Amino acid sequence: MTAAESTVRYDSDILRRPLITEFQNFWRFRGLIRLLVVRDLTVRYKRSVLGVWWTILNPMLTIGVLWIVFSNFFGRGGALEFGEPYIVYLTAGILIATYFSQGVIAAGSAIVNSRNVLIKMYIPPEIFSLAAGVAAATHFCLSLIPLLLLTAFLGPGIPWTIVLVPIPLALMLMLVTGLGLLVASAAVYFRDVLDITRVLTQLLNYLIPTFWTLDFIAGSPKALVLVKSNPVYSFLVVFRTWVYGGEMPPAWNLIMMAGSAVLALALGVYVFSRNWRRVVVRL
Amino acid sequence: MSNPIEVRDVTLRYRLDKANVGTIKEAALRTIRRQRTVEWIHALDGVSFEVARGEIFGVVGPNGAGKSTLMKIIARVLPPTTGRVIVRGQVAPMIELGSGMNPELTARENIILYGAMLGRDPKHMRERVEPIVEWAGVEDFVDVPTRSYSSGMMGRLAFSVATDIEPEVLVVDEVLSVGDKAFRAKSQARMNQLINGGSAVVVVSHSIEMLKNMATRAMWLDRGRIKMLGDANEVLSGYLTSG
Repeated sequence: MTAAESTVRYDSDILRRPLITEFQNFWRFRGLIRLLVVRDLTVRYKRSVLGVWWTILNPMLTIGVLWIVFSNFFGRGGALEFGEPYIVYLTAGILIATYFSQGVIAAGSAIVNSRNVLIKMYIPPEIFSLAAGVAAATHFCLSLIPLLLLTAFLGPGIPWTIVLVPIPLALMLMLVTGLGLLVASAAVYFRDVLDITRVLTQLLNYLIPTFWTLDFIAGSPKALVLVKSNPVYSFLVVFRTWVYGGEMPPAWNLIMMAGSAVLALALGVYVFSRNWRRVVVRL
Repeated sequence: MSNPIEVRDVTLRYRLDKANVGTIKEAALRTIRRQRTVEWIHALDGVSFEVARGEIFGVVGPNGAGKSTLMKIIARVLPPTTGRVIVRGQVAPMIELGSGMNPELTARENIILYGAMLGRDPKHMRERVEPIVEWAGVEDFVDVPTRSYSSGMMGRLAFSVATDIEPEVLVVDEVLSVGDKAFRAKSQARMNQLINGGSAVVVVSHSIEMLKNMATRAMWLDRGRIKMLGDANEVLSGYLTSG
């Protein structure tokens, strides 16, 4: 008998170490995660004429409409912080908001959507949420192209701080995967959780200055607190400052961004894996 | 030498709401009206057995006896509520094949993805594409989206991927009959080859005749409990005469 033949592949008594087991799985199954991301992107674009360009066009259409409507209200006469044109300010805002809401919804619905696979073979379920988050991150990266073009040609030019943009990108991936796993735990029990999530993320996106500017609510301290306590706000501030501002954002924004990402991921993974035992029999 | 499959006093129970509440709104309304009808389901209750190398272990029982639940516990899909399951060696779960395949992807993409889902290395799967499509008889349609495949072609492809290993543990739910007559014979031969290759095999089936021909030992499950366990002929005869 060779050693390989007697290897224990599965022992139900081996304790899952919360968080450690899951993060080991993320690494061990990285090959599968990559394939799942590629599948997501391939399947989504295979039947459309525009293919992957649709990703770019979709937010651009939203941005176009908002620009036509609001460019007369906001950003006239250099009111914006870095002197950028309103279209650049708006595009950065919509991209972050889209990344957040699409990421949370995709990561949240990934488990229920993979039901067929999860009840027939062993795959750590959290893999599917992470893969959905990575797919959303890929969309975000693609839609960075038009933003960079706008910044280069209409805006202040592309500063060196652009090399720091992968930091909010990666932290946002952690945030959406974590929140997505929380949503996924509940979505197995109740079908309407995903619809509620859709509404909530949309509301949350109105609460960050995407198309509007902070001086719009400067008269109301309560409103300012509400807006600034939203972690996505900090992501947006950091992103704007690094993509075209060329400066360092306030420290509290950086802390809020990193803190919320780590907390959301840890909490999401922990709650999800504690619930999975009860959830899987319902799938 | 320990056996490849050890199931020790395994119980699986879960809470089921009989009213099948599907939304938060319904759940809230029912809680307010105190209408929650929760019930504990014992899908498996104190089940213990072992399967040795080269042994073909048949599982029989009426619908709802817990046969499929048992397969899922061995395949690691469901964790047992109490008790312990130990599986040694690579597992090939032959349970409703091809469920990870996507019709929008090509056969090549599906083979690699499905293989990776079954726990195999994507790099290794890339090298196995040719032999797999050849065996399934779809070598002329490797880079075609599988949505244009017939259900027979799909079934052959999934079977070919699933059996493209030498597993130490084979879990088979129901008899796998895919494709035409010629392919059925071919797939039966391959199954026999896997079964006789020294792996521990668990087969769930409603076909007592088939189990009588191949099983060496058998277990009769009834409402989650073992009713009989032992020599295949004795158990199967006992099950048959019970009506």
